[in-house]
Amino acid sequence: MDVSATDSARPIEEAAPAPGLSELFTGMLQVALSAFGGGLSAWSQRIVVEQRRWMNNEQFLTGLTVARLFPGPNQINMAVYIGTSFRGLAGAFVALAGMLVIPFTLLMILGVAYFHFHELPAIDRLLAGVVAAAAGMALSMGFRILDQYRNDRVALALAAAVFLGMEVMHMRLIPVVLITAPLAMAWYWPRQQVRR
Amino acid sequence: MSVVATGIAVTSTAGACHPPALSDLAALAQVLWQFLSLSLFSLGGGNTLLAEYHHISVEQFCWLTNSQFADLYALAEAAPGPSSMIVGLLGLGAGWKEGLPWALLSAYGAEIAVLLPSTLLMVLACLRWRTLEHSPWRVAFERGLGPITLGILFAVGVKIVRTADVTRSGHLSVPGVMVSAVVCVLMLRTRLSPLLFMALAGVLGAFGIINR
Repeated sequence: MDVSATDSARPIEEAAPAPGLSELFTGMLQVALSAFGGGLSAWSQRIVVEQRRWMNNEQFLTGLTVARLFPGPNQINMAVYIGTSFRGLAGAFVALAGMLVIPFTLLMILGVAYFHFHELPAIDRLLAGVVAAAAGMALSMGFRILDQYRNDRVALALAAAVFLGMEVMHMRLIPVVLITAPLAMAWYWPRQQVRR
Repeated sequence: MSVVATGIAVTSTAGACHPPALSDLAALAQVLWQFLSLSLFSLGGGNTLLAEYHHISVEQFCWLTNSQFADLYALAEAAPGPSSMIVGLLGLGAGWKEGLPWALLSAYGAEIAVLLPSTLLMVLACLRWRTLEHSPWRVAFERGLGPITLGILFAVGVKIVRTADVTRSGHLSVPGVMVSAVVCVLMLRTRLSPLLFMALAGVLGAFGIINR
């Protein structure tokens, strides 16, 4: 999702003082609860950069780069980045707790309700429709990043090989990544001075 | 195709695979290990692991049927908070037959297991970012893993469609697939909330236009 484009016209304002642990908790909780049904990184930018002014846009985008680069859910990694930037390891822990503890508890309540009631015919019929829409969301994830590889044939071939390996040959993710990642990294190893 | 086979096997509960009892601590540890070992392979966000989650919970340990997996995916997407919390729901399903305490234990355990390694690595990455940023390893990793992520995300998308849009007898549901395709296009072309699509599709389901 293109977060950078949303708010670039905003005037640069004075940064707020570094948040304490309790502010980190409530800030991340606010992010998690705002993002009903996706768009979490846009909300996170709105709250962290615009409302609370903990970071400027550039710092935020650096964080997003790191969060996307390293394994793990982007939002969780982003919380770790924000927490670590201000309060080190404790900050990371508290920011994570803010993002997860209450939403996870809510989700568990929903989950328990689901396992109690999902066999009711009315609920089952409703869910049959809901999951079709959810599957459409899942299908859109690949298309969303497809564009940036349009002119890179090697990338498209790699992606196709990974897709076929998983979908047709029923290979598991871990061997697929362990086989393709070294090849891809060797191909994309920076040969000259890298300019970005 | 495996979809057909698992669909039938799971609904009759007499399939080849028997879900392990998680009150047996060795079984619980084995399950947690599955999630722990996947953690560092979640490239480009948590969603790349969805096909593996499906494999673990529907095919390998058969805690869930295909439609239950699809339901939990939708639930995690719709609820506030990171959608990677679906792992908690899968854990809940895994322990459900043994009662709520076990279900919650495996839910929290699975979620912590899948987040712990990647989170620790992320902490290290944040602390060492200044040196990592200009390393050729970082450049190669970022560029090389992008296309792999692309391939995985397409495989995940197809997997979820084949999990969600199937009837009880294991056949693809044509209205379901059509709704998924339309939602996919709308997700890419508009900025409407996915919750809206889920609500509208839920109405179609309630009237029996999409069924399974």
